[in-house]
Amino acid sequence: MTEETMMLAPPRPTPALPAPVLSVEKLRAYYQMRFFGVTREVRAVDGITLQIGRNEIYGIAGESSSGKSSLIKTIARAIRPPLNVVDGSVRFDFGEGPADIYKLDPHALAAIRWRHLSYIMQGSMNVLNPVRRIRHSFLDFAFRHMHLPMPVFLQRVEGHLARLNLEPRVLNAYPHELSGGMRQRVTIALATVCRPAFIIADEPTTALDVVVQKSVLTMIRGIQQEMGSSVLFVTHDMAVHANLTDRLGIMYAGRLVEEAPTRSLLRRPLHPYTRHLVASLPRIGDDAPKAGLNGTPPSLAKPPPGCRFHPRCPLAMDICRTEAPPMEELLPGHRVACHAVRQELAS
Amino acid sequence: MTSYGSYLLKRLAQFVLVVFIGINVTYFITHATPIDPVEQTIAAATSFGQTSPAAIETMRESLRALYGVGGSPLDQYVTFWKRILIADFGPSLSAFPTPVSTLIARAVPWTAGLLTVATLLAWAIGNLLGGLAGYYRESRVLKAVGVIAMGLHPIPYYIIAFVLLIVFGFLWPILPITGAHDPGVERSLNLPFVLSVLKHAILPAMSLILVGIGTWFMGMRALVSNTVTEDYTVYAELAGVKRSRIMRSYVMRNAIAPQVTGLAMSLGAIFNGAIITEQVFGYPGLGTLLIAAVHAGDYSLVIGVTSVSIIAVSAAVLLVDLAYPLLDPRVRER
Amino acid sequence: MLRILRDLLRYNRGFGLGCFLLLLVAGMAALSAVSPYPPLDVYVVPPDMPPSAEFILGTTSRGQDVFWQLTLAIRNTLLFGITVAVLSRIISLTVGLLAGYLGGAVDRVLMSVNDTFIIIPLFPILVLFYFVMRDNMSWTMLAVVTASLGWSYDARLIRSMAMSLRTREFTHQAVFSGMRAPEVVLREHLPYVLPIVFSTTMNNMNWSIGLEVTLSVLGFTDINTPTIGGMIYWANQHAAMVSGIWWWVAFPVALVVCLFVGLFLLAVSMNEYIDPRSRLARTGGAG
Repeated sequence: MTEETMMLAPPRPTPALPAPVLSVEKLRAYYQMRFFGVTREVRAVDGITLQIGRNEIYGIAGESSSGKSSLIKTIARAIRPPLNVVDGSVRFDFGEGPADIYKLDPHALAAIRWRHLSYIMQGSMNVLNPVRRIRHSFLDFAFRHMHLPMPVFLQRVEGHLARLNLEPRVLNAYPHELSGGMRQRVTIALATVCRPAFIIADEPTTALDVVVQKSVLTMIRGIQQEMGSSVLFVTHDMAVHANLTDRLGIMYAGRLVEEAPTRSLLRRPLHPYTRHLVASLPRIGDDAPKAGLNGTPPSLAKPPPGCRFHPRCPLAMDICRTEAPPMEELLPGHRVACHAVRQELAS
Repeated sequence: MTSYGSYLLKRLAQFVLVVFIGINVTYFITHATPIDPVEQTIAAATSFGQTSPAAIETMRESLRALYGVGGSPLDQYVTFWKRILIADFGPSLSAFPTPVSTLIARAVPWTAGLLTVATLLAWAIGNLLGGLAGYYRESRVLKAVGVIAMGLHPIPYYIIAFVLLIVFGFLWPILPITGAHDPGVERSLNLPFVLSVLKHAILPAMSLILVGIGTWFMGMRALVSNTVTEDYTVYAELAGVKRSRIMRSYVMRNAIAPQVTGLAMSLGAIFNGAIITEQVFGYPGLGTLLIAAVHAGDYSLVIGVTSVSIIAVSAAVLLVDLAYPLLDPRVRER
Repeated sequence: MLRILRDLLRYNRGFGLGCFLLLLVAGMAALSAVSPYPPLDVYVVPPDMPPSAEFILGTTSRGQDVFWQLTLAIRNTLLFGITVAVLSRIISLTVGLLAGYLGGAVDRVLMSVNDTFIIIPLFPILVLFYFVMRDNMSWTMLAVVTASLGWSYDARLIRSMAMSLRTREFTHQAVFSGMRAPEVVLREHLPYVLPIVFSTTMNNMNWSIGLEVTLSVLGFTDINTPTIGGMIYWANQHAAMVSGIWWWVAFPVALVVCLFVGLFLLAVSMNEYIDPRSRLARTGGAG
């Protein structure tokens, strides 16, 4: 991680929240599995509520298997059994009033996909069809939304590729002929060419080296600002969040534990888990040893009762072992789910 | 060296190797076993009546020359290869003096036609249904097809052909069960002849196709259940690409390449099946020729058919392999 | 092991049906031990009797009881399949494990030979073999030849497994601890490969029994050893179908189809159990 990537993003005007593009209400999605007659349930997304406004980059952070990938798959309606939505709603508003993505018929769903809602998948090295030229991917994904004659469409695509420093000739290439970084940029071009209002990005930069990562992040930021889209950006890398996102939600064991504008969350983390995450970040001039966190992340198949963080929490109290803390706005724009923090702030 | 070039060279080398090993196995079986084909033939020829010892001796000499079993083992080996390379297997004993190569040339078109049509049909239908069954997992019709395919797949060609023969020969006699065309029609390219050929080909082809569909169906269904979970398919679904397009260009298109390799690998087994099918339905191809030759004790004809089979199947495999890069750009490009 | 068996029986219908069919076939074969008639004798019962209380599957035109003849035939056919499977397993394990473990030139040479045996049409070669051997052709010899031709497909599978095993940690450990190649392969890799070998054994038996049936039906084997194919051969010789003696043909065909389907179902359900991919599909690996 370079020092530069650790510098915080410049403050940006907080977007107006009244009509969020995405609002998620008490969403629960479990892996429900049957193996030789034994039913198992893994609570990957367990009661999550959040809202994302227009022209906002919302980040989700958390360690691996905290359920962040399951959460955004659920939000994108990209889940397949055994992952099922058990409860709650996911409503998108693309200017025609809020609509639950799980209540849309396949036709309506296909109509908003890519036109309004696009997705950059995890491991996006392999999302391009290996036996067809890149051009066909653009035709399949975007042509029907753009309502343009073919030559104009291709011109538009070439122009868009140029913005991502890709030559027009990549359109005639097969995926295996491109380098990893080029494939990554093609994927981003593919996800943004329709100028969608909402982009979901799942660890899009994880597989890249730091230099390429930086340029890809700059590109995503540039395209987002130019088009005024909202972005839901997931990565475990706090440095990337610091560099890119406007607001940040921290996930732990299938639940959101803290959410605030990225700057204030990093300056003043409240939840003990977030404090640990932020404290473990390298800072210029700080050479104190980093303390590790005791214990291991809980099994989502058998989560601990009460607050799921309590077995590892330095502030754990009796109530934490029995009662799950609710997510509350304890400071303006700053929501936390922690009994100890609430008491501390109240006193 | 381009990658297609090296692919081509590798396949050609494989072809040469297959023919080399196959012909050597043939040589080994005919020459290294303790059984003397000449004495065998004489025993068979003389078992039906008295022949004078002098006549037997003359016969022995001419048979030795004919079979190329005179001289040192090296001489024999060289002679054996020479004959195969110039496709001269000598005269047939059972249809003396017609050369073996003429008999084989007469039979090959029937086998080649039957095999090509049956293999391609089985491959196409089996893959299409298997692909659909892998993609539309919930469809009842396709599940039923799956059960039938699973039931048919392990049954050998002979049993299937035999059951078809019983059903259409005795229980419900609507199709001709023997021969390649009606004996009365003139053998030229006219409509009655073509129709008659097609009608006679239905049962032999069907027994090959039924088994073939089962095999390809099961293979394709398994492959497709993998390609549907690949990132590129999931991503295209997420992008709202039309299902028919995903099915065709993403799921099937990626699953079909291994099935082409599978086709190349199983041509030998399909050929075995065709031999048996021909025998059951009296179809005048290589299989019927081979089995008749065995019954007639026609040594040169048996060796001729075996060698030609090995070369022909290897050549067919080579052809399929050469078509493979058309489906997989990773082999074709650069 | 027993638990796996119980789970398979309870939750995999294919496995249950396969076991049932095989038990049926094995039961028939076991009954041959108590057959009241010597196997090769003809005209021991009135010929051409349809199935009845006395002859439950009827009698043949050669005066044999179809039921007792069938027990013996299926026993021999089954034994043939097992013999070929065992012999060819030895070859394919040796070739597959060596090629996979040693890699490089050895692998290339072995696999070229292997692919050759996959491509070559084996049936004409077996017919040629019969043609040369004629009356010297015996049951054991056919088994040996079939096995020496029918190992290639499984060798390829085993090789690809051995190749992935070679890169695993425990292999390095074994090598560093001073084990030699044959030891590593036998002690460390063989146990991993055996489940797959077991399931391919079923397919190999299907293949070899199919060949045997076909060859005997054509009369290209030792027709005096009763086998399923041999029974059909004699039925054809007596034009049983034309003269309406259907039971002479129908029961052997039905029984051998039971065997084929049973073996196949067992192989498929075991594959499903072994294959991590399909197991993952069932448990749905969380992430």
